[in-house]
Amino acid sequence: MKVKSYFFRCVQYVFLVTAFVLAVFPFYWMVVGTTNSAVDIIKGKITFGDQLIPNLKKLFADYDVGRIFWNSCKVSILTLIGQLLISSMAAYGFEFFASKARERVYRAVLLTMMVPFAALMIPLFRLIVRFHLLDTHTGLILTSLASVFLIFFFRQSYKSFPKEIIQAARVDGAGEFRIFWSIVAPAMKATYAAAAIYSFMTSWNNYMWPLIVLQSNNQKTMQLFVSSLASAYFPEYGVVMNAILISTLPMIVIFFSLQNYFVRGITGSVKQ
Amino acid sequence: MKRLLSLVLVGLLCVSILGTVGIAAEKKGKLTIWAWDPNFNIPVMAEAKARYQKLNPKVEIEIVEMAKADVEQRLNTVLASGAREGLPDIVLIEDYNAQKYLQAYPGAFVDLTKAINFKEFAAYKTELMTLNRKIYGVPFDSGVSALFYRRDILAEAGYKPEDLYNITWDQLIEIGKKVKAKTGKALLGFDPADGGLIRIMMQSTGEWYFDEQGNPKIVNNEAIREAFKIYKKLMDSGIIKQTSGWNEWVASFNNGDSAAVITGCWIIGSIKAEKSQSGLWGVAPTPRLNLKNSVNYSNLGGSSWYITARSRNRQVAEDFMKTTFAADRDFYQKILVGQGALGSYLPAQDGPAFTEPDPFFGGQKVFADLAAWMREIPPVNYGLFTYEADSALMAVMPDYIAGRIDLDTALQRAAVQLENQIAF
Repeated sequence: MKVKSYFFRCVQYVFLVTAFVLAVFPFYWMVVGTTNSAVDIIKGKITFGDQLIPNLKKLFADYDVGRIFWNSCKVSILTLIGQLLISSMAAYGFEFFASKARERVYRAVLLTMMVPFAALMIPLFRLIVRFHLLDTHTGLILTSLASVFLIFFFRQSYKSFPKEIIQAARVDGAGEFRIFWSIVAPAMKATYAAAAIYSFMTSWNNYMWPLIVLQSNNQKTMQLFVSSLASAYFPEYGVVMNAILISTLPMIVIFFSLQNYFVRGITGSVKQ
Repeated sequence: MKRLLSLVLVGLLCVSILGTVGIAAEKKGKLTIWAWDPNFNIPVMAEAKARYQKLNPKVEIEIVEMAKADVEQRLNTVLASGAREGLPDIVLIEDYNAQKYLQAYPGAFVDLTKAINFKEFAAYKTELMTLNRKIYGVPFDSGVSALFYRRDILAEAGYKPEDLYNITWDQLIEIGKKVKAKTGKALLGFDPADGGLIRIMMQSTGEWYFDEQGNPKIVNNEAIREAFKIYKKLMDSGIIKQTSGWNEWVASFNNGDSAAVITGCWIIGSIKAEKSQSGLWGVAPTPRLNLKNSVNYSNLGGSSWYITARSRNRQVAEDFMKTTFAADRDFYQKILVGQGALGSYLPAQDGPAFTEPDPFFGGQKVFADLAAWMREIPPVNYGLFTYEADSALMAVMPDYIAGRIDLDTALQRAAVQLENQIAF
């Protein structure tokens, strides 16, 4: 019996270690890459080198990395705030206001998730041109303010919110805004955190739409920058790796700081 | 009174003519340029910009840097949307894709046939941007191909540089066998899933995947048949180090595992990156196919500049391209030294940078040689679907190499696949 459990534990650990290596190796390789020259990276060197400073110097000398990073942060954070506000309020409406058309409208909204972005791209582009929002961050943020997935996500977690509390609040004379702000939203912290991670991640990694909307060097985001660095007859991989590392940092920070909320938000936040 | 009036009028006319001349001489406006490659096209364009702005300080030029796929994606979206906004004035397009843009978006690019003297550019470069006898671009970098080899390894196997000139692929394979036997090194790093060598072999005969009408020409294409046989021979001969993907392939010669590379001249940057191999390299012309029309000169890759017809500053854009890429010989020396960019502007090619011996290549005048070979590249119309044809052929290559299907079956299958893919 004891031998058997020992054996299972071994298998378990071997599996976990393999999974760990598979998950962490690309990240390790990126970090190692920041310290090596392009030739060494191509040759497959996987130990730390001494090129970190030259790579960083080249990156910061040739490009306004600070500005590009700030562009990405600005777009992602504004999109995040907008998406959370609009989606959570929309979901509140869908969940707590009864009406005949409600489910039909909701289904229509969900259906729009089925339309692939490629089909929307050209009409959306024409729209942006008409609004004179080409090459502006406003054009980028405005078009991504409504997130159908987040509306769905918020509504699902509102379903577990006790209706009695809302009814009680209404009886006590609280307006809907007040109920939303002071009662529902504060109880949903974990849901907001999970939605925030999702929202930040998608807009930070968003590629196609910023590519089409943002036209000048001053406006571009980290993802566009990284991809332009690597498109070359002779790519400077060491420099590229540094840029990639910088572009992953905010994701890591956000994820680790909201990690606990995230898990709770996904598994359901309010207990009845 | 009449006389006075006519005098005044004539005077006014003179002033207005002088005025327009004065305005015409002083260019102003803003040019936006889209390009890729931070170590090549971008600094080259930056050099052109600096030179032009010295003459025309009022012209503002923004070079927008993005990945090649992104340039294509963005160009497609904006052209397809029909919007007037959002296009650059000048855009870099890869040569293999040029016809796709010219034919898919008629009138989108400026016809430069009369504006530029195209006789001064390598003939094969103008051919690929010609549509209905009109020429639409300004030729830029050449991907003239060559056999880059390690002098030390080939000497060890008993070969002199002359032995590599004017040879066929079959002769090269024999050389490779001797190199392998004497030194244990592979002759080439070779990725059987990469169709680049097929394109080199094909262009050396002046053929392409398509006939003059643009219809696929696969099964009865002698150049492709020959190229397929060479691929199989290379795999069977044991003289190659099989690689997968770009990085492994570059590593095969950076590591010193293989004795030679056959590809476009833009590989020089990657070869020179391995500084420990300085002085050990040499360059010879590309091997040719065992066909009558095949020559020892070919090309792989390269790209060119195009001016968009909707540009608000079209005249300035034309003038910019004319005074830099189509006139400035000194500019071409500068970018050759700085970026190793080999332009296809012929008058620049007897300049000092071209005739400079390169110590990395054992003192060989590499660029003078490459420039001479560039003039001999057979012109080819790349048609609309180079990459589609390439992937159709590469899809059947593994089965053909493994001997599971014969050449005819393989090419027929590829032809069917290509037809299906490009049928509208």
